[in-house]
Amino acid sequence: MGIGMIVLDLISPVLEFIAPMVPGEIFPYFFTMEMFQRALVAAIMVTMVAGVLGSFLLIRNLALIGDGLAHVSFGGVAVGVVLGASSPLWYALVFSVISAIIIHEMQTRELLTGDASIAIFLTGMLALGLVVLRVFGGGITSDIEGYLFGSLLLIDERSLDLIATISILSLISLMTLYSGLLSTTIDPLAARVQGLPVRAIGLVFSILTAAVVVSMVQVIGALLVTALLVTPAATGQLVGRSFRSCLIWTQVFGLSAVFLGLYFSAEYDSGSGAMIALVAASIFAIVAVFKTIVIGLINPKDNF
Amino acid sequence: MVVLNMQPLADGQVMKPTPILDIKGLTVSRSGKVVLSKVDLAISKGEFIGLVGPNGSGKSTLLLAILGVLKAQQGTIDIYGHKPMSRNILGKIGWVSQAAAVMPKNVRITVRELVRLGTLNSRNMFLRRRSIHREKVERAMKMVGLEEVAEHDIGRLSGGQRQRAVIGRALASESEFILLDEPLVGIDRESRNSLLKLLDKLCHEENKTILMVSHDLAAIRQTAHRMIYLEESIRFDGPTEDFPDLTSLAGLRGIEPVHGHEHEHKTPVSVVIQTGGEDQTKKEEE
Repeated sequence: MGIGMIVLDLISPVLEFIAPMVPGEIFPYFFTMEMFQRALVAAIMVTMVAGVLGSFLLIRNLALIGDGLAHVSFGGVAVGVVLGASSPLWYALVFSVISAIIIHEMQTRELLTGDASIAIFLTGMLALGLVVLRVFGGGITSDIEGYLFGSLLLIDERSLDLIATISILSLISLMTLYSGLLSTTIDPLAARVQGLPVRAIGLVFSILTAAVVVSMVQVIGALLVTALLVTPAATGQLVGRSFRSCLIWTQVFGLSAVFLGLYFSAEYDSGSGAMIALVAASIFAIVAVFKTIVIGLINPKDNF
Repeated sequence: MVVLNMQPLADGQVMKPTPILDIKGLTVSRSGKVVLSKVDLAISKGEFIGLVGPNGSGKSTLLLAILGVLKAQQGTIDIYGHKPMSRNILGKIGWVSQAAAVMPKNVRITVRELVRLGTLNSRNMFLRRRSIHREKVERAMKMVGLEEVAEHDIGRLSGGQRQRAVIGRALASESEFILLDEPLVGIDRESRNSLLKLLDKLCHEENKTILMVSHDLAAIRQTAHRMIYLEESIRFDGPTEDFPDLTSLAGLRGIEPVHGHEHEHKTPVSVVIQTGGEDQTKKEEE
């Protein structure tokens, strides 16, 4: 039994306890049936880690790297599927981590500035996946579509174990690196003078990003990864005043998006990944509009 | 107003106290071009030094070489008896970047969070017990006079306050030798005066050694005890009161009266220190 199933065993009594209070006709199954519970637990874990990671991505101006690495992961999945792998996510992990390291090195060595290296990897690896699928595989099957748009209910025990392992390790790493990451992001030179290993921290962060993105692919879909990685963090930045409070708000918005998204998708039978992304974006819009109006009312003559 | 802690000698060579920074014959090149050549410089504890020179004269290069970020092509840098970036001098050097240019504006981070980052080093970055550092952080915020805005987001502070916060970060590590890169840029007049007062206080009351790069010649002359004029090599090094006036400065830089010459500036001498245009013209001639 892997970490994922242990977590599930710990949480399922809590879920079953909450179940009677959960609204909707189908949504309560997420709290009672094991297949649905796996989906819910995976979604919660992935969202929490993505929120923390996303907050750092945002201040590092790397909001789109998640999207890039998700496409790379899709390429990896495609290669895995064609090679007949039982768990194509492992291929995705290898592809994603290697690409993240190369992107990081290209950016720090200033071979390519900003998003250009991300763009090259994004399209290159996506194209590789599509070509490989077309030539050696059966094209875009429903299986493959699951990786593109998310297939929450197809998360089996092995996937849950992989997701849980990545989530827990990443969360621990991000928390230990918290100050170092903040320091190297805000003023890399000052951090270097203080003796912090700026490059090593950047590299570890890239690898963590790659791993977390892979863990998200089945939950929300490669095309929608950014919805949980960046949107809640961006919403948090609208509300929070300190970095710490932004992190907490990010969790609030991220988890709200997951629960509401799952509820709506269960009741109206829409895709879960797309619905979560839609809810996350709506929350952002509501908070942004509300903030503008409230600030306008409190302080009508201030300029922002 | 200017009180000298110790008498810096004009040639910077034979000092009575052992210098904390001793640079000998330093040559640094960046992308194949020599930016600093044969720089000799010694700095003692408690000095307040203004480093001036036109754009591209190597001021930042000198700072980065002292910090150990740029490698020396020739010559040696000795700082507290060690090489730059050595583990033995961790925490002794405080780097104050130019807040106006470096501090990201999209980041929600409070003054306290920023100052707390100053207490980080490679030994304590993973396991941090907040309580040990709390006092240092409080003290640093008090020194820079920001304890009232401790919980404010730095994005909402004025330019002067933001620069103070960055200084606070450097002070939180209890560094003794503080290097500042153009801290007066983007700061209004009032904040500038109080910032200079703060630096003066740090030098005299906290016994910090300060090396400050600035374009603002008038401001730096009010505060620094010793001035260094750098343009590839050190052209002047001595007490502030001996610092040449603008006409002699032009002579120092090898600029001759330009009437008859094809120069776009009518009064080149007064423009020299402020702009880089003049400087580039000179480089082209070389």
